[in-house]
Amino acid sequence: MDDIHPSSDSIKVESKINYYSDGFDDNEDPFFLTDDDLVGGDDGAADALLEDIREDEIDLLKQKQQDCKILNATELRQRMEHDVAQVSAVLSVSKTEASILLRNYNWSVGKVNDAWFTDESAVREKVGLFVKPVISSDIVSNKRKIIFCGICFESHTSDRIIYADCGHLYCEICWSIYISTSINNDGAGCLMLRCPEPSCHAAIGQDMIDSLTSEEDRKKYSDFLLRSYVEDNRTTKWCPGPACEYAIEFSGADGIFDVTCHCFTSFCWNCKEECHRPMDCDTVKRWILKNSSESENVNYILAYCKPCPNCKRPIEKNHGCMHMTCRVCRYEFCWLCLGPWKGHMNCNRYMERTDTDDKRKKLAKESLEKYTHYFERWDANRKSKVKALADHQRVKDEEFKKLSVSQDIPEAHFEFISKAWLQVVECRRALEWSYSYGYYLPDNEPAKKQFFEYLQGEAESTLEKLHNCVESELKEFLDVDGLSKKFSEFRTKLVGLTTVTGNYFEKLVRALENGLSDVNSHGTKGLEDEAEDSWHCDRCTYANPSSIRSCKMCVPSDIDNVSGNE
Amino acid sequence: MASSNLPRRIIKETQRLLSEPAPGISASPSEDNMRYFNVMILGPTQSPYEGGVFKLELFLPEEYPMAAPKVRFLTKIYHPNIDKLGRICLDILKDKWSPALQIRTVLLSIQALLSAPNPDDPLSENIAKHWKTNEAEAVETAKEWTRLYASGA
Repeated sequence: MDDIHPSSDSIKVESKINYYSDGFDDNEDPFFLTDDDLVGGDDGAADALLEDIREDEIDLLKQKQQDCKILNATELRQRMEHDVAQVSAVLSVSKTEASILLRNYNWSVGKVNDAWFTDESAVREKVGLFVKPVISSDIVSNKRKIIFCGICFESHTSDRIIYADCGHLYCEICWSIYISTSINNDGAGCLMLRCPEPSCHAAIGQDMIDSLTSEEDRKKYSDFLLRSYVEDNRTTKWCPGPACEYAIEFSGADGIFDVTCHCFTSFCWNCKEECHRPMDCDTVKRWILKNSSESENVNYILAYCKPCPNCKRPIEKNHGCMHMTCRVCRYEFCWLCLGPWKGHMNCNRYMERTDTDDKRKKLAKESLEKYTHYFERWDANRKSKVKALADHQRVKDEEFKKLSVSQDIPEAHFEFISKAWLQVVECRRALEWSYSYGYYLPDNEPAKKQFFEYLQGEAESTLEKLHNCVESELKEFLDVDGLSKKFSEFRTKLVGLTTVTGNYFEKLVRALENGLSDVNSHGTKGLEDEAEDSWHCDRCTYANPSSIRSCKMCVPSDIDNVSGNE
Repeated sequence: MASSNLPRRIIKETQRLLSEPAPGISASPSEDNMRYFNVMILGPTQSPYEGGVFKLELFLPEEYPMAAPKVRFLTKIYHPNIDKLGRICLDILKDKWSPALQIRTVLLSIQALLSAPNPDDPLSENIAKHWKTNEAEAVETAKEWTRLYASGA
């Protein structure tokens, strides 16, 4: 993978270039290919058009590089410190206080500033920051005063007594056990630690944590803080790759969330599942949950866990009443209706459904059969994708060498084979998710469904051709000695197939992402066009109006525009 | 003996509970386990539990006072925040616990809960529903249960 992913920031778009639009990178190499070979000379405009597309893609690439950053723990800590320092400077508060403020406002400097300058005292009240102690004592001036600790019930000289900003006095041993108990038992809840005095809500900040706990606990606390910085921050997320410690900062807003980490895990930034275009995240979530609904684990989570309505972390209820308090964000809610506890009334009324039992049983059977159909195909493409990725690696590692010897061509010239394989991987992925898409396509829109199945069928057969070509036909050249003329033909064919398949799939993915919104207009417009004068594409048989020269269906749309301008 | 490795705080709390008991509350440690207390709470006046004597058990876990004591009613009681196993829904026994609270404050809070049932934060759904739909009838049932199960016999 290294060669196509030289810089992680640009992975998404680079791969897009590779997969979808470009089989032409080595055009400069006259040894193999001329433009005519590639497009069969049937459309002279294609060249210019593809250049246009490439420029578009490069623009997108530049934009994407700014959209997403991959950060390691050190960089994250630097960012956190930077944010803390910024808040500390702007609000003239200590860094400890700034950190408490940020933690309470999802690490958003903007939100902290807004809230603070709107109503400072309300913010102080909410997060537990005190201007002056509510309990004043003379222990600072009188070091030998005897103080009673309300936790261990012992008397101590005042130099052994510690207090937070609120001024409630406890001995240092009890403080340190109190903090350490919270760090080891409350998980991330220790970040929200308050003064032990029951009526007091003074926040315990990092300065006290650092001065009163062991090295080990300090490390744990600092890790919780870093986790909070990534998980509560709206712009960062951990990479879901196994054992990967990078977080990804994402600021794009164009509805495409595919990102790739330094560990080569590609995922959708929005939902943290694998990249799943053309499906939207909610449907993917439903699909995945559905697929694993057999598993005991999911049953357990469904039966016993619910996400906190505020911070969305799963909460398991293992005791008592319906009044729940999230350990992490302290949000109080009703377990049954997940509504806020504040002002909670009854939620016992049953909202009746109209379905009758019989109808539901029949529907259940039908839906199971339907589901099995789509799941099998989804799963088959998924497995094929994984296999193709492994095959690509093997071909690169082993067969390029053999091929280089048998064909007497440097390995560097086999990049087009690598591209074809990666195109197969990408198409398998898109096809995989298109089956999940098909499953959720509403039954009451038969025109859409028919159109979708047609497009999907075409996509599948196009991909089979490409997959077969790169898999089987390549083998023929491994053992043949001497320069084979056929190899040049093979190259032409494979590069062509890669491009065509890439274009087709990009079209398909975009059409599905738009919810096949063209279907209705096609229905009427198509008829008009046909009534006038139209031609059928050789490749996909789509009926195109005579005003355009390239197929609207299987050639990127930019081509149409330019053709039209000619 | 048993009290040799008991924290000073528990010893002091126990002594004070025995020497200055809170009104209507008694708590005495078990002979073989100084962390286990037999508790009796008198039903507060002007509550449906008036005249009743309610037995509870209270256990101080190893982490006490950093962790809350575990308390449970042994006497059957008709109360929206107490279930049929005697478990109590009280915030200071759960997430609002603080090491600055004590056995005494916990028991006083339970006594207060008897005076002021809170059907909006129910542990026993049925009783809470009863309380909300027909409070007078629910109070009668609570009085009846007090007579039946907590008459101090």
